[in-house]
Amino acid sequence: MTLSDIKDRGYFRIVAVRATGEIRRRLIDMGFIKGAEGQVLREALLKDPIELRLKGYRISLRRAEAAMIQVEEVNERHH
Amino acid sequence: MRAFGNKIKIKEDVKTIRIALAGNPNSGKTSLFNALTGQVQHVGNYPGVTVEKKIGRIRYKGKILEFVDLPGTYSLTAFSIEEIVTRDYVLQEKPDVVIDVIDSTNLERNLYLCLQFQELGVPVIGALNMTDEAENLGIHIDEKQLGRILGIPFVKTIGTRGSGKEMLLDTALQVAEGEIISTARHLNYGLELESQHYRLIDVLKTDPEFGKKYALHWMAIKLMENDREALKKIASEHSNADLVLQQGEIVRSWIEKHFGEDSEVVVCEQRYAYIHGACREVVKHDSGSERIDFTEMVDKVVLNRYLGLIIFFGIMFLIYHLTFNLGNPLSDGIDRFFVWLQDVLVTFLPAGIFRDFLVEGIIGGVGGVLVFFPIVLLLFLGLSFLEDTGYMARAAFVMDKFMHLFGLHGRSFIPMMVSTGCAVPGIMSARTLVNPKDRVLTIFISPLMMCGAKTPVIAMLAAAFFPEHAGTVFWSLWFFGWLLALSIAKLFRHVIYRGEVSPFVMELPPYRMPTIRGVITHVWEKSWAYVKKAGTFILAASVIIWFVLSFPKPHHIYEQHEQAQQQLDSQLQSVAAEENSELLIQNIQDKKDSLDAALAERELKYGMGGRFGQFIEPVFRTCGFDWRMDIALFAGIAAKEVIISTMGIVYGIGETNVERENGNITLKEKLENDPRYNPRKILAFMIFVLIYVPCMATLAVVKKELGSWKYPLFMAGYTLVLAWILAASVYQISRVLGIGG
Repeated sequence: MTLSDIKDRGYFRIVAVRATGEIRRRLIDMGFIKGAEGQVLREALLKDPIELRLKGYRISLRRAEAAMIQVEEVNERHH
Repeated sequence: MRAFGNKIKIKEDVKTIRIALAGNPNSGKTSLFNALTGQVQHVGNYPGVTVEKKIGRIRYKGKILEFVDLPGTYSLTAFSIEEIVTRDYVLQEKPDVVIDVIDSTNLERNLYLCLQFQELGVPVIGALNMTDEAENLGIHIDEKQLGRILGIPFVKTIGTRGSGKEMLLDTALQVAEGEIISTARHLNYGLELESQHYRLIDVLKTDPEFGKKYALHWMAIKLMENDREALKKIASEHSNADLVLQQGEIVRSWIEKHFGEDSEVVVCEQRYAYIHGACREVVKHDSGSERIDFTEMVDKVVLNRYLGLIIFFGIMFLIYHLTFNLGNPLSDGIDRFFVWLQDVLVTFLPAGIFRDFLVEGIIGGVGGVLVFFPIVLLLFLGLSFLEDTGYMARAAFVMDKFMHLFGLHGRSFIPMMVSTGCAVPGIMSARTLVNPKDRVLTIFISPLMMCGAKTPVIAMLAAAFFPEHAGTVFWSLWFFGWLLALSIAKLFRHVIYRGEVSPFVMELPPYRMPTIRGVITHVWEKSWAYVKKAGTFILAASVIIWFVLSFPKPHHIYEQHEQAQQQLDSQLQSVAAEENSELLIQNIQDKKDSLDAALAERELKYGMGGRFGQFIEPVFRTCGFDWRMDIALFAGIAAKEVIISTMGIVYGIGETNVERENGNITLKEKLENDPRYNPRKILAFMIFVLIYVPCMATLAVVKKELGSWKYPLFMAGYTLVLAWILAASVYQISRVLGIGG
């Protein structure tokens, strides 16, 4: 399951980042690393991009990028 | 740096301590920089790139402190210009202290950059900024403990209020004097990684010269991360480059096998793991009831799927109107002032080349620069406010999908919209695009919009040749500009940047109240940079165009003209003595005027520009243009509105009579009644005016923004070809179909 499959307001834990090149490095630098947890907050009008919360801040991704991030669903965010 | 140091005289005996200010975007770095340096700032560029470099100096406790504002970055990889600039600055200039400004509400991600500065082996101080905000959110940081873990001093600050400033300066002094050790404290990235790391350092050490230049600890980490810039440095500068690079490969494959993941990922994960551990020890969150998340509350409305779009367009509408409704009268005022100045000089200076040069070349040019100033100023007032509140990122979020369909970025919308007023501030506002490809693409297409200067030209022609449908024709062209810009963007994305997707990954910062000072500083810097940089070029170009249009002079006809004028003058004198001669006087006066106008027409035709227009006539005949239109288009490169006044001269009615409605024939009527022109030709002409070569103010700004002449040259080239193709198609197709003849 990828980050793109998580429903609005759903919580997730990152399993792996499957991107390559610049996008992968950007994602990792911004904290998309194995084990990091977050919440999908909302999507834009045409369902793309999406906004999510990660490590206590907000970030937006396009669906195509979110689909490169493998995640698992978790029930709730714990700090 | 050093070049700058020469400009300000400093007594030799006073030591200058150089401090670099770094940090994530939205960490409040700029306001802290302002608080530390006061108003004494100098804005320049980093060598070779168009990234802005701000320097401020202060005297503190008998020392001179020189602050350099490094660009805001999230990391120190080699993917963006900002990151490379930051990295190279620290590596090459070796500042005495790096202050890393950290958003305390977002400690983990901000410390990630801090760690990378430590890896570089420079003395680092962490400024835990926006402490007040963090406290309000119930985040308490034990900065002493954090300092003990990471091995560098941390100071709590509030940049907007300047609190913590003294403490920060004192700490910086202590670090610079070596009283606090704040360098190269080794970070532990796990036992396995460490042993590999040391293997690499050992190989790197084989070249002692290289070791003096770069922090080997850092180079070893970059080798593990497979960083292309660092590898390049090793390949070209290390005496045992082959051995080092080979060892790097061995280590990377070892890590990959051992961790089951890319070495690059492993290193980053270790950094975050290290930070996570540190934060668990030093950060206390208030337990108990959930706090009200203000940003989330606002986002619920502002980023609501449907409301978000309405709010976005509402805000854009407001900014657009604020800029152009308030700015245009101011611009007109400046314009009127320069026209007045020209009139005064014409009255008081003797006629001749020098007067023409001063009046039309210099004053015309300076006026052309300053006319944009109020619009640039007001626009950046609005945009800085949006940027500082945190809305700009939301605007990009709302518009991204639509813009992405055309290969653009959500942030491309604002430059395009602004360009419908004026492409100069539009192109400047493309700075919000972080990715260089997105930015270049957006800049390329923005001048295709109908701008404030093309509007009077196209509106006048539409009214003259499509009297029944003037509005429809005008607005169709307006939308055509948008459509064309988006289609060209799509085309360029496929042709020039084929297959390259730039990441959208974008932080949505918390909403914050901008400080008045912050906004004003922003606005002033940007507007002034425009006047200084673009201004000099616009001035030069306006002198050149004036020269090309005015020389050589048709000396052989002057005598004849003088005689004719004198004849009329004497007629005037004899008539003036008679009674009831107003009508006659008016008649003679009109004759004089039309003589002058005819002279102006012949002068223009005789000059280089005029000859050029006649020379290239065959090329544009396919579009239905004659040489008169060609000259007007050529002059229009100076500024699009000049097309009308040039046509006025070319059609022998004098440039000032273009809009005169009483008595004399206007340009509009003249064109309407001229059998050589028909709606078909004029439609092709309007399309050409909409698309062809951006005005030189725009070209100058593109050069300034992108740093190389190849960009404006390319833009001038492609728009000219595109304009020709479309105008020719419209003209030829309508001719074949027999429309508008």
